[in-house]
Amino acid sequence: MFTTQLLDVVTTAGVLYVVALGLLIVYGVLKIINLAHGAFLAMGAYAGVVTTRAGWNPWTALLLAFVVGVAVAAVVEWRVLRGLYARPLDTILATWGLNIIVVQAITLYFGREIHFAQSAIERAVDVGGVTYSAYRLVLLLVAVVLGVAVALVLHRTQMGIVARAVIMNEELAQALGINTRLVRFVTFGLGAGLAALAGALLTPLISVHPYLGVPWLINAFMLVLVAGVSLANLALAAVLLGGAQVLVSSYGNPVLGSLTIVILSVVILRFRTITI
Amino acid sequence: MRRMWTGSARSVVAVVVVLGVALLPGGAVQSQEKKPIVIAIPVGLSGVNSVVAPAVVQSAELAADEINAKGGVLGRKIQLIPLDDESGPAGAVKAFNTAIRQQKADAIITMETSAARNAGAPIADKANTLFIYTSFYEGKACGKNLYINAWVPEQVVPPLIKHMTDDKKVKKWFAVGSDYAFGRGMIESAKATIKSVGGTLVGEEYQPLQQSDWTAIISKIRAANPDGIIYSTSGGGPNIDFMKQFKAAGLKMPVGSLSIDELTAEAGGNAAEGVYYTGDYFTGLDNPENKAFLEAMKKKFGANLKTPNSLSEPQYDGVHAYALAIEKAGGTETDKVAKVLPSIVFKGPRGNVQMNKQHHAPLPVYLAQVQADGKTKVLKSFGLVDPGNQCPKLK
Repeated sequence: MFTTQLLDVVTTAGVLYVVALGLLIVYGVLKIINLAHGAFLAMGAYAGVVTTRAGWNPWTALLLAFVVGVAVAAVVEWRVLRGLYARPLDTILATWGLNIIVVQAITLYFGREIHFAQSAIERAVDVGGVTYSAYRLVLLLVAVVLGVAVALVLHRTQMGIVARAVIMNEELAQALGINTRLVRFVTFGLGAGLAALAGALLTPLISVHPYLGVPWLINAFMLVLVAGVSLANLALAAVLLGGAQVLVSSYGNPVLGSLTIVILSVVILRFRTITI
Repeated sequence: MRRMWTGSARSVVAVVVVLGVALLPGGAVQSQEKKPIVIAIPVGLSGVNSVVAPAVVQSAELAADEINAKGGVLGRKIQLIPLDDESGPAGAVKAFNTAIRQQKADAIITMETSAARNAGAPIADKANTLFIYTSFYEGKACGKNLYINAWVPEQVVPPLIKHMTDDKKVKKWFAVGSDYAFGRGMIESAKATIKSVGGTLVGEEYQPLQQSDWTAIISKIRAANPDGIIYSTSGGGPNIDFMKQFKAAGLKMPVGSLSIDELTAEAGGNAAEGVYYTGDYFTGLDNPENKAFLEAMKKKFGANLKTPNSLSEPQYDGVHAYALAIEKAGGTETDKVAKVLPSIVFKGPRGNVQMNKQHHAPLPVYLAQVQADGKTKVLKSFGLVDPGNQCPKLK
């Protein structure tokens, strides 16, 4: 039982981390909460449906999801968001509107019913005497790889340094001649691409339908509020909150468990004294 | 100028005369034709039922076509009026009022959510309009003019539990449900049957409706190590969420579902492979009526056909049963039709359906299993299964 719960905690944290990563990046640099995050998750999941229909290898769905996510986000940033950065409340409206448009577009094309996406891995493996879902373990690995990759980009590349400068003080960065407009453009595209990638990564766990992003968006939103703009904090929040959810669901019941992340987030935000 | 005016006036007169001659016989036929029989279908064209609603309307359309092709009932054609009940009570109130007050519907025949039915039924009752409800539901809905031709838990749950007990040797059960009225109601019914056949329940867990990660429940199942699973999620996606994660976790015990349907199973690909479920209608039913029904549906709707299913097929039976009742009663007056309705047997794709048990119908129940490609295979028939005491105050 202990091994199972440990695995449940770390893999749940991995899933949450993957789902929240794109939202965190956008929030960090653009200072906006991308309410279309759930729609990008759904878009990515439908990339899985498309690759299944085309008979391609299930892994290609990840690439397709990322590319489509980035492309849609690039157009939206360019035509819609760019004009709204001075009005943060309106960006909420704009991204929420985008969420509705994307979900309805998916519904129009695919319909409301659920769709099938082939899973890349369906096997279970033996871990310390426990038979466990191989795919959840792969997801944990993907979360670690994505986290390290994004951290490397932020800390080891010119683009990352520029992005961090914008995160710390946008006006100063601008005064130093940094093209913040380009930074925003690239960041929004990357964040949405990661959201779509997360959606494609979720398809082996859940059924594909236009509203699949909704429950994940809420948890991702809470995690980002708690974590602020730090990748390490996001990992910590995913382990703590995801872990609490698993344990409350196991020792209490899943109905209470589903409230855990929201309640704990509110408590943490209320009593957190250091700003991160 | 003058001459020209005269010429056009002449041609106007000619046109009027020609039109009048052409229209006269038509007008005469119109007045001779009897008033159509109006059946209103308040159904969830929007909202949660919008996936299944088009199939329900198509079922009714085929039935109406078949009846009208034979000259209608008592020389009157059947006219269908689909209305959107928005899958909920507020929309149902509007739709029922529109049906009764504006459209002057002779009857309401429809499949809708329980909440919508509970909101609409009193309106139909007050207006003394016949209401045939064609959706399976949690049971015990009773009304003077309310007739139901689809299953209640007593008809599909015990056969499934008994089959898994006898054939799969399941003694220790784990019950899983979505946390809402229908999910919990189905699990209650399953628990009663498990107890009556001498099985034990080693776990019972409910998942919130929105939550699609079943990790904690699956770990509890693994820890409890039951012989078999009985589950009832909300319809559609959650079935596949649960089964995907159940399988990926390497769990192999037999699973009985109280919430999966043919379309969902197929959309899930191999996710639900091996799952047992029971029901009164499957497209794979091997009888002439079902084959003719599916053939006619394909012919009528072609590429637009919404695959008939257990939620849409009873609508076809409902319209036919109503037409037969009008014929027998000699008119559409609600009291007369309601009086003869329980005596009407319609042999349709499900088999013989007669609403003669406290306004409910003993139904042919079948056992089915999801195959590797997601398709459903009918394994055996349990024969006619009685709905039990749904409305003891009604005959």
